[in-house]
Amino acid sequence: MTKSSSENKHRPVVLELQNIVKTYRSGNTSFNALNGVDLKIYQGEFVSITGPSGSGKSTLMHIIGLLDSPTSGQVLLEGRDISRLKEHEMAQIRNVTLGFVFQQFNLLPKTSALENVLLPLLYSDVDKSLHHEMGVKMLTKVGLDTKLKNTPAQLSGGQQQRVAIARALINNPKIILADEPTGNLDSKSGKDVMEFFHKLNQEEGRTIVFVTHDQELAAQAQRVVVIKDGKISISKTQ
Amino acid sequence: MIKPSPSDLIKSSVRSIAKNKGRTLLTSLGIIIGVTSVILLTSIGNGLKKYVSDQFESLGSNVVYIVPGKVFNDEGGFSNTESFVTLTFDDKDISKISRQFKNDLVIPSTQLAVDVKAGDKIKKGRSLIGTTPEYGPANNSVPKETNGRWFTQEETDKNSKVAVLGNKIAQDLFGSVNPLGKKIIVKGKNLKVIGVVDKKGSTFGGPSLDDHIYTTIGTVQNITGNSDINTIQVKIKDKSLINKTKTDLEKLLLDRYEKDTFSVFDSSQLLSSINSIIGTLTIALTGIAAISLVVGGIGIMNIMLVTVSERTKEIGLRKAIGAYPRAILVQFLIEAIILSALGGFIGVVLGALGTLAINQFFPAQITPGSIILAFGVSSLVGVIFGVAPARKASKLSPIEALRYE
Ligand SMILES: Nc1ncnc2c1ncn2[C@@H]1O[C@H](COP(=O)(O)OP(=O)(O)O)[C@@H](O)[C@H]1O
Ligand SMILES: [Mg+2]
Repeated sequence: MTKSSSENKHRPVVLELQNIVKTYRSGNTSFNALNGVDLKIYQGEFVSITGPSGSGKSTLMHIIGLLDSPTSGQVLLEGRDISRLKEHEMAQIRNVTLGFVFQQFNLLPKTSALENVLLPLLYSDVDKSLHHEMGVKMLTKVGLDTKLKNTPAQLSGGQQQRVAIARALINNPKIILADEPTGNLDSKSGKDVMEFFHKLNQEEGRTIVFVTHDQELAAQAQRVVVIKDGKISISKTQ
Repeated sequence: MIKPSPSDLIKSSVRSIAKNKGRTLLTSLGIIIGVTSVILLTSIGNGLKKYVSDQFESLGSNVVYIVPGKVFNDEGGFSNTESFVTLTFDDKDISKISRQFKNDLVIPSTQLAVDVKAGDKIKKGRSLIGTTPEYGPANNSVPKETNGRWFTQEETDKNSKVAVLGNKIAQDLFGSVNPLGKKIIVKGKNLKVIGVVDKKGSTFGGPSLDDHIYTTIGTVQNITGNSDINTIQVKIKDKSLINKTKTDLEKLLLDRYEKDTFSVFDSSQLLSSINSIIGTLTIALTGIAAISLVVGGIGIMNIMLVTVSERTKEIGLRKAIGAYPRAILVQFLIEAIILSALGGFIGVVLGALGTLAINQFFPAQITPGSIILAFGVSSLVGVIFGVAPARKASKLSPIEALRYE
């Protein structure tokens, strides 16, 4: 009972999931975390994915973000199946096209905010002489220009998540994927992060897909996708 | 396609090493222990070998020894069988040998354990060696000019009661007093000291040449009351004939004595036998060294395993932001190489310092071989245990690695 929005039809599709199934096996029991998911994400969209805990939201995000591979089904990036590419081709897409923001931040410990932000550039084609300036600019953009040298342990949760967002943005990705980016934050920091995402979407035209189980936050998106038991139950444009 | 340039990877590895001081220290420690102990142990073995061969070089390589009993077994090692020390030679042997080997020096000697007295000092169980004038030069035992002289042919013919002292027994009996011209008493006989031999060093707990007392052969035979000869040395002119001389001597002696009741050998044979013993010792030392390498290796492995979850998460994160597996492997490889080189270098320095320290008491000699072995093995261990977990982790999907417990 998937409903697609008619409003998006004039925009190109950047991401398309076709009949994605993800099966986890342990011993001789197997469990379908995703059970045939079809989803289209249009360019410049701001989509929230929501649903009860354990419904498969993270699993879905990991498959979209090429952090995990589906058991069956296809992930199309601008029409091209990317779910079964070679390792180094996937690495390239994760590096350049996608920016992933985790609930647990996943910053390198004992490593400065600036170095954390610069990490993706190490694996990119960007000229080395530009790295430092780009990192400073990005941290300034998330409001952390005074914390360049701080390690994650010396930053608050909200600040850590902003470093992680700066890291996700450093290679100028088309698509930002965020799995419960506010899940570990207090409501004020969470609100700041959401505002920042809105800005990225509206001012820079980036496509943003984020997971939340907060109804209020989900409702701020242009489109809300609800997952239940590994299937999309509602896809509703506001 | 190598995107992080090698210099970037090295920088990144150095940073990671510097950031994790505890891990770095513990990993290096394993390598340091391994390298240091291997170098020390092999240094001791090698030093021992060199020391012994130096000692034998001073004995001269053109002397054939004839002694009672079976000294060597058939494998060239020292014989375990009960020696027939009861056998003695006599003047008849000396003249027979002298007749056949006209151009060579035949030097008889007779040895006796005695107590020596000088003034109120007594030293027990010293070797009194009765011999001929040729013994001194043949055994590098002639006193230096200022320390007197060896005895002459005339003194030998007259059974003169003269004594040449080893360096240590001279010290023990006379201390700072010049022994030349002084009397020592052996078995009730007064011997006049005419020379003191330079220090020769001990042979590892065995009887020291520096404790020997030399006198004319007749003097010793007067004491024992017979004309027995214990040892015959034949100093040959032409060194290349040494093997033929040994065979001929053996044949000659077999006319009078049974096979295996006497031995004819030269110092190189003695040296190779001793070297084979030291070789065994060195193998044992190397075995111990190998154990410490393994212990060091286990240390490295442990610390790598302890940090594997932390490192797997790091690998997951790096993959998630676009690192391809090879970049990760190269980074971990560089880290492991830097750690191993660092630990290895410190180990070599400690091993060298340790060798110097041991050298104060005991011969020890560092060799390039031991450095290469120690360094090579521990680096290999460091690299294998450093890279293997990384290799495994880099094969996981980013999310599996990130979630690794
Ligand atoms: N690695 C895994 N192995 C086995 N089961 C898993 C694994 N990851 C997730 N699951 C299961 O898949 C389901 C969906 O998980 P997830 O996508 O994390 O849900 P959500 O993010 O919506 O809370 C859950 O029932 C979870 O237990
Ligand atoms: Mg989740």
